[in-house]
Order: sequence, then structure tokens, then C-alpha cells
Amino acid sequence: MSTELLQAAAETNQWWAIGPEMILGCAALGLLVLEIVMPKDKRKLIPHVAMMTLLVVLAGVGLNFDTEWKDQELFGGLILLTDAGQVARVFFLLSSLLVCYFGTVCLPRARAPRVEFYHIVLVVTAALMLLAQSNHFVMFFVALETVTIGFYILVGYYRESTRSLEAGLKYLVLGALSSAIMLFGIVLIYGAVGKVGLEGGAHTGFEFSVVADFLRHHPDNFLATAGALLVLGGVAFKIGAFPFQIWIPDVYQGAPTPVTAFLAVSSKAAGFAVLLTLVHRVFAPLEGVLVPLLSLLAAATIIMGNLSALTQHNTKRLMGLSGVSHAGYLLLGVTASISVPWAAGAVWFYLFTYMLASMAVFGVMAHLAGADDADQELEHYERLARDRPFLGAVLAIGVGSLAGIPPLAGFMGKLLLFVAAFQAHLYWLLAVALGSVVVSIYYYFGWIKAAFFESWQPSGNATSPSVRPVPAAPSWVGVAVMATLALATVLLGFYQAPLTSWLLK
Amino acid sequence: MANFLFYTFALLTLASAVLVVMNKNAVNAALGLLLSLVGVAGLFVLLDAALLAFVLLLVYAGAVVALFLFIIMLLDTTPGAQKPFSRLTIAASAIGGALLLLGVLSLDERSVLPSLTAAHAIPTLKNYAEQLFTTYLLPVQLVGFMLLVAMLGVIVLSRKCTGEDEPKTEGQP
Repeated sequence: MSTELLQAAAETNQWWAIGPEMILGCAALGLLVLEIVMPKDKRKLIPHVAMMTLLVVLAGVGLNFDTEWKDQELFGGLILLTDAGQVARVFFLLSSLLVCYFGTVCLPRARAPRVEFYHIVLVVTAALMLLAQSNHFVMFFVALETVTIGFYILVGYYRESTRSLEAGLKYLVLGALSSAIMLFGIVLIYGAVGKVGLEGGAHTGFEFSVVADFLRHHPDNFLATAGALLVLGGVAFKIGAFPFQIWIPDVYQGAPTPVTAFLAVSSKAAGFAVLLTLVHRVFAPLEGVLVPLLSLLAAATIIMGNLSALTQHNTKRLMGLSGVSHAGYLLLGVTASISVPWAAGAVWFYLFTYMLASMAVFGVMAHLAGADDADQELEHYERLARDRPFLGAVLAIGVGSLAGIPPLAGFMGKLLLFVAAFQAHLYWLLAVALGSVVVSIYYYFGWIKAAFFESWQPSGNATSPSVRPVPAAPSWVGVAVMATLALATVLLGFYQAPLTSWLLK
Repeated sequence: MANFLFYTFALLTLASAVLVVMNKNAVNAALGLLLSLVGVAGLFVLLDAALLAFVLLLVYAGAVVALFLFIIMLLDTTPGAQKPFSRLTIAASAIGGALLLLGVLSLDERSVLPSLTAAHAIPTLKNYAEQLFTTYLLPVQLVGFMLLVAMLGVIVLSRKCTGEDEPKTEGQP
């Protein structure tokens, strides 16, 4: 291959366009080096290095939000920087920052290696960001696999706990299965699209634009449609939509609390970022199949998530299963966004409110967890409001926002999604969602009740309180972080303009 | 000739795949997997994908199955009494199998594959390398990180954390 050809191939390789991801990757390597060269008593600083990096990159992305490479295909069509991609970058950085902070709270309690956790979180964050920008099925799959493999390890990170190992194994087996399904779908699409069309063409059948073009001209190609459905099935596994939600309770319970937060927020958001890209850019011509399919999936997911969350007593399982119903509401938004374009912004708004509220709740859980991280029952929250009023208040705001109580951000998020669904004429789906919101209030308020109201106990046997772990006092950083999350949740309920003007462009 | 070879390799692949599933002895099952991979490699050769065939033989047959055998022999799994399948499992697998058959049949019935263009480049090692180091440079870099994370994960999950190498004072009440 001559140098001219090489230059032509490398022309669009604008490495600075993926600067944030590269910085995170290099920082992740740097952490491993730091562990070797730093003296033992200074190693406590390594998590702070990781968090500082995330903060700096977040500031960098925020300052250069309108990049010069916007809406250009880079790396020969592998990467496409869009506004949605930038929003996703901000989202993932923010969420990983919080996950790293919870890591500093939780990890010292268990006997587990420290530095590797932050290394993996940084690499996974970079891969998540690339996933949201990808414009090519090869890039898409490689980024997704990097995320998934990172999560396999993180879920089983407490290797001395059987539950964590069990969760890791379950996630590995089911995750590999879903990857296989998705890969099969990609291959079918490639088989249908590859090397036809544009006169012998330079394209390979993996580019998103080429696939969309093909589908527009051959809307009833059976092979490509089957492939598209299989790819969507793989994505449905990541977001925990109805037929693929079986892994959620066990994995959420067994995983260390920071990892559960990471799974619940970032992994789910990544699924929706991908789903929005696929539905709008790649499989848009398949609208006739997508709308009924996604509506059915959304309804089943909402109902399934809420009904199975009703009977849960373990808070991590409760967060997981209620997260399934949140995925259902978000799917409703995705379905609506096919005919109402601004609904995509509403999905992102909901994801932001979901992150703020979930992270506040996970922050409280991180401080309440005892020696056994998987054993966090609702009963442990008894008298929380009296013993630790601050944690109780944060919990109430977080859970209230997740339930969608009016003055909080979660309510506005749901309202936007429901208005979008109304405009898209998805009336029966809207009815299902509204009914389920009422049901969800039951289990969310059970949690608040456990924290705020003492249950009556016969005076004879006051034995149970001694079993539960004592909630740890949050440090000033913890207070600041959780207060910010709670405050943002309250403020976004009253005043949404800064976020909506940015997301609903 | 090509037809004869195709049927031979297909039969080899399928028969040894059945052997993998049905065999009670884990070592024999792993060897069946090896045979099955050889059959698939033969099919790849028939499709002019010699490179893929060699990679399959080298990586899967050479390394992965050898690793499987190593682990099986290390763990010394003696074939125990097999639990009979529950009725639910049988029903579920029957439905799954039927759905798969239906899927394959409908693919065969309805799918239209693009016709082969006359001058399709036979993938050579050189073509492959050129693509890898120009168009797909970024995914290759990312795969590097993926492998690093996977390797690190193996270390994290297999190392016994005694708590001695970490300061025990922090976070302890």
C-alpha cells in the first residue's frame, strides 16, 4: 500500500476529536503505574487521582461542548460526533465520578483490591463514551464488549462474597448470550447489505448510514429486518427490558453497591443512547415494525418491573426491579420519539433526573451497608430518620423523585415523557404507564415508611435492632455530594429551563 | 468434488458437535469440540477464507481447546450421575428447538442474499492487515484496552487478597 493511500485512510483520523476518551484511557494506565511507584502509605491518593481526571475531562467536555468536528464522520466513518453524543459524554462522566466516590466509601470495608476498580471504571467510561459516538457496527460492537467485559469483572469484584461471585457468573453467562444474539444480528445485516448498492463500492455494510440507506430502499428485506430485531434484542438485555430482565435482581444484589449504581445508571443510559441512535439513524425505515414492537416491550417492561418490585425486601433488588420499570417509561419515550422528535431530549432529561435520584439513594445505601454488602434489607432503614436525619432526608428526596412525587425532578421527567407519548397518540400505553406509577408509589413509600416511621414492636422481644449494621456517618465530602444531588433533584422539579433548553433543542 | 467435501465437513462438524453435548466425559467432549472446529475450518477453506480457517485452527483448536483440556484435567471432574431433566426443561428446549427450526426455515424461504459480484477480492493476510492498520485502527486500540481489562480482571478475581498489602486502618471502626 502506497503512502498516499495510507495518508488518505488516515486523513479523517482526528485523534483530538476523541480526546476525552484518550485522556481517560491514558489516566487508567497511569493509575496502574502509580500503584507500583507510590509508597504504600500514599496509595490512598490514587482514587482521588481518578476522580480528579474525571472532573478535569468533564470540565473540558463542558467547555468545548460545540466541537469543531460536530456532525462529521471521523476515522473513516467509525465515529460521528453529535449533540446527543456530547450529552452522553457529560452524563457518563458525571455518573462515573459519583461511582468512584461511592467506591472510596464502600471498598475499604471489603477485602478487595483497590486500584483496579478505578482503572476498570475509567476504561469502561471511555468505552461508554465511544459507544455513544459510534457510527459503524464494528466500532459499536467493540465498544460494547469493552463495557461488558469491564462490568463482568466489576460485578464479581468482591470475590470473597459468594453472592458477588454468583452475580458475576450470572452476568457473564447471560451477557455473553446477549452479545452473541447481537453479533448474530449484525452479521445478518452485513450479509444482506454488504457489497451491494453503490457501484461495487468502498463501503462494507457496517456503516450506520449505509445500513439505513439499504433499509430505505429495501424495507421488506427479511434478512436485514431479522438482523435489526436481533440487534435490538441485544440492546434490550442491556437496558433490562421485559423478556431480558431475569438477570437484574440477582446481579444487582450481588454486585458491590458502587457497581450496582454504575449498572443501574450508566449501563442503562448507554443502552438508551444506543437505542436512540439505532431507532433514529439506522433502523428508521423500519418504523412499521418498530412502533408496535417497542410499544409492546415498553408496556410489558413497565408492568413486569412494577409487579415484581412490589414484594421485594432487599433494597438492592428493589432498586433493580424498579429500575426495570424506569426502563419501561424510557422505552415509552423512545417509542414516542419516532413520531415526536423532541421526545429524544425528554428521554435524556429523564435519564438525568434518574441519575440524580438513584445516585442519592445509592449514596445512602453505600453508607448504610454493613459487612455483607448484598444484605441490605428494608428493615435496616428503621429509625434512620432519627439516627441520621441527613441520610433520611436524602433518601426521602431520592426515593420520592424516583416515584415521581410532584415537586421533585422525577415528576417533571415523567411528565415530559407522558406528554410526548400523548402527542405521539400512544394512548393505551400511556394508560398502562399512569396506572403503574400509582402502583410504584406503594413500594417506594414502603421504603420511606421504614426509614421514617417506627414499626410497632412488642416490648417483650426487642432483639432485632442489634442485628442490623450501624449506618456510617458520612464525611463532609459525602454530605456535600449527597446534598448536591438532593438539592439538584428539588431544584430541577421547580426550574427545568437550564437542562431542558440544552436537551430539547 | 466441492459438494462432496462440503458434505463431509458439514457432517464432521455436526456429528462432533452432537458428541460434545451428549458425551458424559468432559475430556471426550472437549476433544469432540476440537473435531467440530476442524470441520468448521474446512468449511471456511471451501469458502475461500483460508486465513480465517488458519486463525480458527491456531487460536481455537490450538489454544482455547488446549486450555479447556488443561482446566478439565486440573479440576479432575469425574463423570457423575446425571440428573434427569425436569419436564419444564424438556418442554422449554422443545419449544426453543422448534422456534429455531422455524427461524432457519423462514430464513431459507424468504431471505434474499446479494448476488456475488464477479471480482470480489479474496481476503489475504495482506488485505486483512491493511484494513486493520488503516480503517480499523481505533477499534484495534480499543480491543487492546479490552484485553488489558480482561487480564486485570483475571488477576483481581484469582488473587487472594490477604489484606496485608492494603493498609487495614482506613475505614475500620
